[in-house]
Amino acid sequence: MSWATILWSMSAAVSLTLGAIHFVVWMHDRNAWANLLFATMALSMAIFGGIDLLMMRAETVARYTLLHIWAHVPLFAAITSLLGFILFYFRTGRAWLAWTVIGMRVVVLVVDFTIVPTVNYRAITGLLPVPFLGETVSVPAAVLSPWSKFAEGSGLLLLLFIGDASVSLWRKGNANERRRAMVVGGSVSLFVAIAVVNAFRIHSGAVHGPYLVSLLFLLIVLAMGYELSRDVIRAARVADDLRESTESMGLAADAAQVAFWRWDIHRDVVWVSPNGRQLYGIPPGEVVRLQVFLDTVHPDDRETTRQVVLSSLEGDGLFRAEYRVVLPGGEVRWMGARGKVEFNGHRQPLLMRGVSIDITERKQAEAELAQRWTELAHLSRVNTMSELSGSLAHELHQPLGIILSNTQAAQDLVAQDLASSAEMSEILSDIVAADRRAGEIIQRLRAPLKRGEAVFSPLSLNEVIEDVLRLSRAELIARGVTLDQDLARDLPQATGDPVQLQQVVLNLVLNAADAMHGNAPSARRLHLTTARHGGMLRTSVRDEGSGLPADIDRLFEPFYTTKHHGLGMGLAICRSIIAAHQGRLWAEPHPAGGAVFHFELPVAGPRAPS
Amino acid sequence: MSTPSGIVYLLDDEPELVKALSRLLRGRQFDVRGFTSVQAFLRAYRPQDTACLVLDVTMPELNGLELQRQLTHQGILIPIIFLTAHGDVPMSVRAIKAGATDFLIKPVDAAVLVPAVRAALRAAEARRRTIAETAALAARLATLTPREREVMEHVVSGKLNKQIAADLGTGEQNIKLHRAHVMQKMGVESLADLVRAAERLGIGKRDADPQPCGGPGSRD
Repeated sequence: MSWATILWSMSAAVSLTLGAIHFVVWMHDRNAWANLLFATMALSMAIFGGIDLLMMRAETVARYTLLHIWAHVPLFAAITSLLGFILFYFRTGRAWLAWTVIGMRVVVLVVDFTIVPTVNYRAITGLLPVPFLGETVSVPAAVLSPWSKFAEGSGLLLLLFIGDASVSLWRKGNANERRRAMVVGGSVSLFVAIAVVNAFRIHSGAVHGPYLVSLLFLLIVLAMGYELSRDVIRAARVADDLRESTESMGLAADAAQVAFWRWDIHRDVVWVSPNGRQLYGIPPGEVVRLQVFLDTVHPDDRETTRQVVLSSLEGDGLFRAEYRVVLPGGEVRWMGARGKVEFNGHRQPLLMRGVSIDITERKQAEAELAQRWTELAHLSRVNTMSELSGSLAHELHQPLGIILSNTQAAQDLVAQDLASSAEMSEILSDIVAADRRAGEIIQRLRAPLKRGEAVFSPLSLNEVIEDVLRLSRAELIARGVTLDQDLARDLPQATGDPVQLQQVVLNLVLNAADAMHGNAPSARRLHLTTARHGGMLRTSVRDEGSGLPADIDRLFEPFYTTKHHGLGMGLAICRSIIAAHQGRLWAEPHPAGGAVFHFELPVAGPRAPS
Repeated sequence: MSTPSGIVYLLDDEPELVKALSRLLRGRQFDVRGFTSVQAFLRAYRPQDTACLVLDVTMPELNGLELQRQLTHQGILIPIIFLTAHGDVPMSVRAIKAGATDFLIKPVDAAVLVPAVRAALRAAEARRRTIAETAALAARLATLTPREREVMEHVVSGKLNKQIAADLGTGEQNIKLHRAHVMQKMGVESLADLVRAAERLGIGKRDADPQPCGGPGSRD
């Protein structure tokens, strides 16, 4: 075997191998057009190399001519692929230049097949034996055609395009792209330049030898091989980093009790990270579907959770839920989940990915805090009620006195045998009425003293206030306070817990009474008003007392008190009660002296729980 | 125990309680008038009657103690039994000092209320009698001649006839005669009775207050 055969075959083999690798890359990523174009270029160059080799071995002019004509086909393919490759690989280059080159090569190809003998030669007179790498190869003895210059011109234009694309990439690119411009752009330019010069010299008869183009292509193969190896190294590094970060993520996920999941909505399959399966109590092998997930959710939370999932698919694609999960052993844990839905172009949900966290401890802490708060509110209520105990005793003694006197009057009548049944019946019905009244008073007392969590429901603010006034009537009388009330009629309902709101009103009323303790009895007027202010219902309690401290907000701080008795918690608790009702509580001095305390509650919406 | 005559006024803002107490006291043969407002009571009240007032301390329009003060101010001296739900010591002391007959805690038992009302009515009767006697004495005093009055003033101040005669520049016999007239006109038989009558009329005292506020001995 000759050296030429070995070299040419090896160069073709190397080109094909690298081309095949890039073809495989394209097979995996159909958008990687640069790789496909490189593969086409490599294949074209291998074919061109084969033809080149055959031309060297041609024994007749006819055979040489035929091979020469056909050699332009892989050359055309190679140039076109090269143009495309640069455009895609560099993402620079002027498209019009590329199209001009392609146009010129099309002309070259058409002329090549129409003019006899080829586009390059006007006539091939014979074949000359030329020594090459220790053997004799055929080169034509021919007259050059004017079209040959045109073909070489297209080569120069190609060189211009590549040079321009490389410079653009160098200018705008980062370090990686600069290297690519240098290595790939440089080698391609060098390849094209040498090929063009060599073709020119052969055509002009300056040298006698083969085209060597396919051998020169090794330059590009070398550059691309270098790029590939860098890519491989980088991919390995990325894979390493990815594995590292996946491991760290897994560790972090385990440590933070975070579960990752991804729900393929179309196929209804959920991938769950291993610790996620543990969190939800799903065995490792089981295929997870939406229903399987929902089955792990506590029955009381299941329907709500399903609704939240479904509405996130229709809405903005954000999923956020807190629910309880029942583990196989029966243990109940709180989970908090957040996810995001991915949609296709037609707003159809494709998949949702997200994380879940075990929030049991937070929930327990919240529940404990709420419990403490409820206890504190209750304590404050009991404290306030104890302020009323004297007047409430008075109120309770009233019906008891009525019962006692009526009973003793009846006893007298019976003892003296004077009792008429009509009179007795009247006395008894008076006793019953007084007894009922005592019962009602005790009933009114019982609600504020009861322990329990807030129960929100639509309620009438005026009724809450009237309940408080019934409760505190006797106390206000005993303190010589005159009440001036102006409750707006037809007030819409608010949403709230009646006991807690009564607590707030009672606190404000008693504070107002306290503030007027030093006033003359005629100047102890308490003004109570309700009114609507836009979407809010405002209750105002005004006194004619000594006014407010300079720093009004201190009043609402815990343990701040201006009284001898009292915990100093009243207003702090009132403010947090009103805040829990989405309202606000504040105080201000009144222009006519004294202070006004206002609180506002939102009007109950149409979606208020009934 | 017999029921003293007289009117029992009941004043409480609670109509049901007024009704029940009226029923009870009427059953015990008292003449009861119940009211739920101060105005109604003041319209019905006649000072010349023997009466007592059962009064609620805590009323919305007017505090019971305040009413007591106003009545005293207007010269209405009616024995008052206070009813209260607060067994508040300072308040009861204030009420008693201001002349209340009694201070009862609600709910009030008939066994406590009835004797209290009886005592109040007796006090009212006694006071009425005292006033009537004072009025009679004053009428008698008006029949004395200026000379007799002078002699009486000297007598009750504890002077002997001889001293008086010297003071007034006349004979001892004359004084004896005037003295006998005074005793006769004032309807008294002993010097001690005359001194008591003079005391009651405020004779011999410079800063005399003819009707001392809150009759002494109104509480026993």
